[in-house]
Amino acid sequence: MAEGVVQRDNAGGWQSAIGHALADGGVTVAAYVPDTRLQGVLSCLADRSVVLRSLSREEECVAYAVGQRISGRRPVVLMQSSGLGNSINALASLAVPYRLGIPMVLSMRGTLGEANPGQVPMGRATVPLLNALGIQSFSLRSAEAAKQVTDGIMTLAYDAGECAALLLEPELGGGRESH
Amino acid sequence: MKATDVADAIVRTLPDALCVSSLGTATSALRQASGDAGHFYFGASMGSALAAAMGVADALPDRVVVALLGDGELLMGAATLWSVSAYRPRNLLAVVLADGAYSITGGQPLPSSGRFVEVAGALGGIAARRVDNPSELAAALVATDRPGLIEAVLDEHAWPGPSPFVDPNRVRLEFERRVAARPSSSQS
Repeated sequence: MAEGVVQRDNAGGWQSAIGHALADGGVTVAAYVPDTRLQGVLSCLADRSVVLRSLSREEECVAYAVGQRISGRRPVVLMQSSGLGNSINALASLAVPYRLGIPMVLSMRGTLGEANPGQVPMGRATVPLLNALGIQSFSLRSAEAAKQVTDGIMTLAYDAGECAALLLEPELGGGRESH
Repeated sequence: MKATDVADAIVRTLPDALCVSSLGTATSALRQASGDAGHFYFGASMGSALAAAMGVADALPDRVVVALLGDGELLMGAATLWSVSAYRPRNLLAVVLADGAYSITGGQPLPSSGRFVEVAGALGGIAARRVDNPSELAAALVATDRPGLIEAVLDEHAWPGPSPFVDPNRVRLEFERRVAARPSSSQS
């Protein structure tokens, strides 16, 4: 397990299911900005020997993943949905026009059950922003669908060359409810 | 020294390197120097070029990777220096075109001095030096430890020539072709 990454898969196994699906799909590196609900996914990826790169902001994660894609590798980007705003420049002006498909896992904030007013506007805007860029997104609400949706965004990204997002909806649980 | 002198020195001194150029002057200069020879030329996405170069460097540890960056570009994406310091890819070199201006938008001055050598040096793990002529630059490209940063101080502001508005599909395909091809000579 990577240093500083705490195993946390307390919500029915969806975090491990996503991690294993990514590793089974050939993902070699994960660029991310930390989030409580992503930790279990990252722990699983570390256990599967996927390289982890905690970077300074989400835009940097997308650009780093672009560098990996043009080098023939299979990266994944993980972030809170609130970080999507930080990544728009690299998505809209780099990954999308260069047709470099990157699978993204977005831990949703600012939606069902959100207590922090500062998170709500970006929560509302997440899907419309992705839609405006032509990036399809798929909500995950149960562990049973985790592998199918993860496999699906990887196929869109690596085979069809389209960025695609998996949205970790609040119904999954996973560690933020007490905050 | 002008931007094309810097790009010329890179492609001449490190002919097998994979280069990533930031939008504007850097892309125009690298297109001019390389003859569009399969490097990754950014046409937009200001502030992201060093992160993309780091992704290439991590993915291809046996290839030398050079990020050719405008100084306004690096100011916008400066946080990536912290990531370079954290992960220290031993095949990555950043070369900064330090003219103190946003050339592509008309030469407006940067609000403050970049001091990229001092910043990179303070972070740890990044060899950093400043050069102001092509011969010093050529020597620094070979001698600077990696990861490294070379601040190339420009005193001429001629626009390099080729358009910085590149065709993304062509750039991607040509770069992927260059990655797949074996280097023509060995590099240290």
